[in-house]
Amino acid sequence: MTIFNFRTARPVEYYRKYLEQDVRPDGRDLGEFRRTVLNIGCVTTADGSALVKLGNTTVMCGIKAELCKPKTETPKCGFIVPNVELSPLCSPYFRSGPPGEQAQVMSQFMLEVVNHSKCVDLESLCITQGKLVWVLYCDLLCLDYDGNVTDACVLALLAALKNVCLPTISINEETENPETDLTKRVPLPISSQPVSSTYAIFDDNILFVDPTAEEENLATGIITIVTTDDKLCLVHKPGGSPLRPEQLTNCFDRSFDRSKEISRLIDETIHSIDR
Amino acid sequence: MAGLNLLSDQGFRIDGRKPNELRRIQCKLGVFKQADGSAYIEQGNTKVLATVYGPHEIRGSRAKLLLDRVLVNCQYSMATFSTGERKRRPRGDRKSQEMTMHLKQTFDAAIMTNLYPRSQIDIFVEVLQSDGGNYCASVNAATLALIDAGIPMKDFVCACSASFVNDNPIADINYLEESSGGPELIVATLPKSDQIVFLEQNSRLHEDNLSKVIDLAVKSCKDVYTVLDRTVRDHVSEVSNSHGWDH
Repeated sequence: MTIFNFRTARPVEYYRKYLEQDVRPDGRDLGEFRRTVLNIGCVTTADGSALVKLGNTTVMCGIKAELCKPKTETPKCGFIVPNVELSPLCSPYFRSGPPGEQAQVMSQFMLEVVNHSKCVDLESLCITQGKLVWVLYCDLLCLDYDGNVTDACVLALLAALKNVCLPTISINEETENPETDLTKRVPLPISSQPVSSTYAIFDDNILFVDPTAEEENLATGIITIVTTDDKLCLVHKPGGSPLRPEQLTNCFDRSFDRSKEISRLIDETIHSIDR
Repeated sequence: MAGLNLLSDQGFRIDGRKPNELRRIQCKLGVFKQADGSAYIEQGNTKVLATVYGPHEIRGSRAKLLLDRVLVNCQYSMATFSTGERKRRPRGDRKSQEMTMHLKQTFDAAIMTNLYPRSQIDIFVEVLQSDGGNYCASVNAATLALIDAGIPMKDFVCACSASFVNDNPIADINYLEESSGGPELIVATLPKSDQIVFLEQNSRLHEDNLSKVIDLAVKSCKDVYTVLDRTVRDHVSEVSNSHGWDH
């Protein structure tokens, strides 16, 4: 049996053979992310945009800002509405039609990341208290699905938010109508940087970071950890194999390292665009 | 349209092009790994992505199965952030449905459909940024994606738009020129055999001028073909070099 047939016929056994040597079939060790490529400001029709490639996985985020009326219970708060789209374009496993379960769960997860990390102060989106606020529609398009879309989405969203420049709005005192000044644009203040890292659990005890689509299918559990700078922000473990506390601690350590890598990557990208 | 001079006295258009000049085309094949074929194209500020899956078994309802030829399934969608105003629905609105239909009809005419009876080919097109000529960019991107997927076609399909301003036909119109209310003519051709597979014209145009505009559009399709052909050749030689094939 050739190696290729073995991989197709007995995928779990195939992976076990590699993992015994603490390495994965694509040559990465267990704590290694795929090469991450970031491009900021690639869509000029959007108010902020970013493209992320994590190995083959590709996610594009475009942000459109609109004006709306705030809720009565939070008159000073604007809105951030993330929406993840997993269309049949990105993988043969998705069907066309209304958003599937996975896409809805992802959208909700992104909303939680935004709310809990407080990366954007919602009050900074206020124009007139109780009357006019910004709503930021953050659309995340998955263009190529090769596993770990969560991490790619969080990075794309953060990078796109950092790219947002909102026009200044003044209220005409006579007519009380808002007037937009498109020439004076101010960047959106970002107060913290949420960074997510996803781990797959294999055979109930081996953990490795940044799973590909194949690895996601073989995994007995998935855990996602979101950190903001040096603090823990969110841990998401939807069932699957139970973990020992020391395994979790290892994951946390790796996540904080990733957080530093990502903030360096974002700084470098923004710096290279400025020049 | 008042206050907007589409063609200056010196004969230049708003974006500085000459009347028969195309916008800059940049394209790339094989951009994604999951799809069987994929391509990305930029025509000026219009950016379009196309992916192709198939030929594969019929998905969904088997009632769509065709006994003598392959079913070409298209989906045209525009990212919500691709236009000036945010789009509420990326697909499913009438304009996108119409575009989907047009793409399906265009590629039904160009793909060798009789080679794969009882199967299906999916063409997904996503407009990431729109600045006029969405149909044309979509067709060009889908052609490249089909070639990348290795699906037999009669010829390349190249599309280009044209308009008519101040007694002058102009090629490859952008969003401003498109929305100024002048005539708009869209042509998709098989450039090698000089055949037109798709033609649509809207808004008023005197019939004496029609042939001038069609001629320019068909000629522009040939220019597009030159660019696409070079891209495909470069891509093939790059791939064969990386595999160490003799060619």
